[in-house]
Amino acid sequence: MIEVQDLTKIYNGKVAVDQISFEVGKGEIVGFLGPNGAGKSTTMRILTGFLSATGGSASVAGFDVYRESLEARRRIGYMPESVPLYADMRVKEYLHFRAHLKGMRGHAMRRRIGDVMDLCGLVDVRRKLIGALSKGYRQRVGLADALSNKPDLLILDEPTNGLDPNQIRQVRGLIKNLGENHTILLSTHILSEVEMTCGRVIIIDGGKIKASDSPENLVHRIESSGTITVEMKGPSNHLQKRLRGIEGVKNVTAVSKEDDWMTLELRLNGRNEIRDQIYELSVAEKWPIRQLSKRSASLEDVFVDLTSTTKRG
Amino acid sequence: MMQNFRTLLLKELRSFFVSPLAYVVLALVMVLNGVSFLFSVERMEGKVSQMSLLHLTFDSLWFWMVFVLLFPLITMRLFAEERKLGTLETLMTAPVQSWTVILAKYTATLIFYVILWTPSALNLLLFESISGSAAAFTAGSFWGTYTMLFMVGGFNIALGIFASALTANQLIAGVLAFAFVTLHFFIGFVQGFAGNMPAEVLDRVTYFSTVEHLRYFSNGLIDTRPLIYYVTGSALFLTFTYYVLEYRRWRP
Repeated sequence: MIEVQDLTKIYNGKVAVDQISFEVGKGEIVGFLGPNGAGKSTTMRILTGFLSATGGSASVAGFDVYRESLEARRRIGYMPESVPLYADMRVKEYLHFRAHLKGMRGHAMRRRIGDVMDLCGLVDVRRKLIGALSKGYRQRVGLADALSNKPDLLILDEPTNGLDPNQIRQVRGLIKNLGENHTILLSTHILSEVEMTCGRVIIIDGGKIKASDSPENLVHRIESSGTITVEMKGPSNHLQKRLRGIEGVKNVTAVSKEDDWMTLELRLNGRNEIRDQIYELSVAEKWPIRQLSKRSASLEDVFVDLTSTTKRG
Repeated sequence: MMQNFRTLLLKELRSFFVSPLAYVVLALVMVLNGVSFLFSVERMEGKVSQMSLLHLTFDSLWFWMVFVLLFPLITMRLFAEERKLGTLETLMTAPVQSWTVILAKYTATLIFYVILWTPSALNLLLFESISGSAAAFTAGSFWGTYTMLFMVGGFNIALGIFASALTANQLIAGVLAFAFVTLHFFIGFVQGFAGNMPAEVLDRVTYFSTVEHLRYFSNGLIDTRPLIYYVTGSALFLTFTYYVLEYRRWRP
């Protein structure tokens, strides 16, 4: 559905997107993940034809986004980051206007807008002025507009940005439902969002793609660096030295100290289970344990691991 | 293309009439034009005048004051607001060509402009039927005046749209449009300031003078040169607008 080859964009004198290449297949839900200013929005704007690339090429549904921009745009439903809307229009009126622009007419258009308003929960506010709507409703209007012409591809730039937790849940549910018969590319900097909704994650940072895989695989790849937290009572230096001596431990850091109780964090090298060895150490040295837990790697660890290496100005 | 043009045109016209600005401008034009008309009628009363009523109405300070103020007011919103709200992004990523958007906005403003001057024409027609003096003006001067008003309007609206595309700030767009319109307008008065200019230069300058054009046309004389001047001028500034909008995509 999307093919991007060596896409580069120099914007405001900076390299915003640096020779990225990726593909999105039909029916996939792909999450574009990255810190603010990583190049997510810029890439999306190039795909939708709002910006032109400095180098490389991109196509949507087989149409080049620059040379066959209109054809490509006809197949995209796009919701920009800030969800811009005309405040002086009414919800239904706005959606009709947008559907007209996208080439829909007559009864088919009216029926479709009715369906879309139903789907996005806008029926009750269809006569309200957009300017009077809450952020959550505005987001839904943007989504309804993106959906109106049954696009092959939905591009949603931070669809849950600025919503309260309930609204976020609703929008996520909506996206998940849509994923059943749409291809979706969405961007976010919220990790749990991609874990919940996306089949694949593209992590982008500093204009470059750092990883592209399913959330599970990404977590799997970094699981070796999972951490163990242990709270033990014993002589500080000796204790740390002994723990470091256990095979598979990369490093030990003291997190806090309370009387003689030390809380330590152990980064692991392999995927070995070393908790029983810690127990044995505790028994042998008579150092009591209050807490011993393993935290398996989350997408957050992957994200931090992949993006913290790049310095940003 | 045509369908999109219609959709956008209707939306733009609607935008004019849901905002209070349209009514304020309409009132302003009606009042000041009414004053100008009243004074002209008074000047003609009991005197023999070489000039027609139309000429007096449309060559008064009252008229020119409204005229230069009018264009910034009706054009400053057009693109600046879309930029400010961010709706330029949703608009330009819909399957719509930039030219369609520009022409729809231009045409809608032109239609509003025509509506603005309709009451002034009604003034004249009403005056004619009440007073019964058919000599107040001739059909030629009537149609000449309104043709020229339309042409000059088209050109100045193109200037205003260009100014509006340059910035996201409506006020700045308005000031720019005001500057463009007045600069162009005052070219016609250079004659009055610079007496020691060579005659050929003055001739060239007069060619750009809106005041001269309107004077000529309000006498019922049709000259094709200013007509072509205003049509090509409008096309030029709409083309500039197109490139300003396209520049957004390429800006490094």
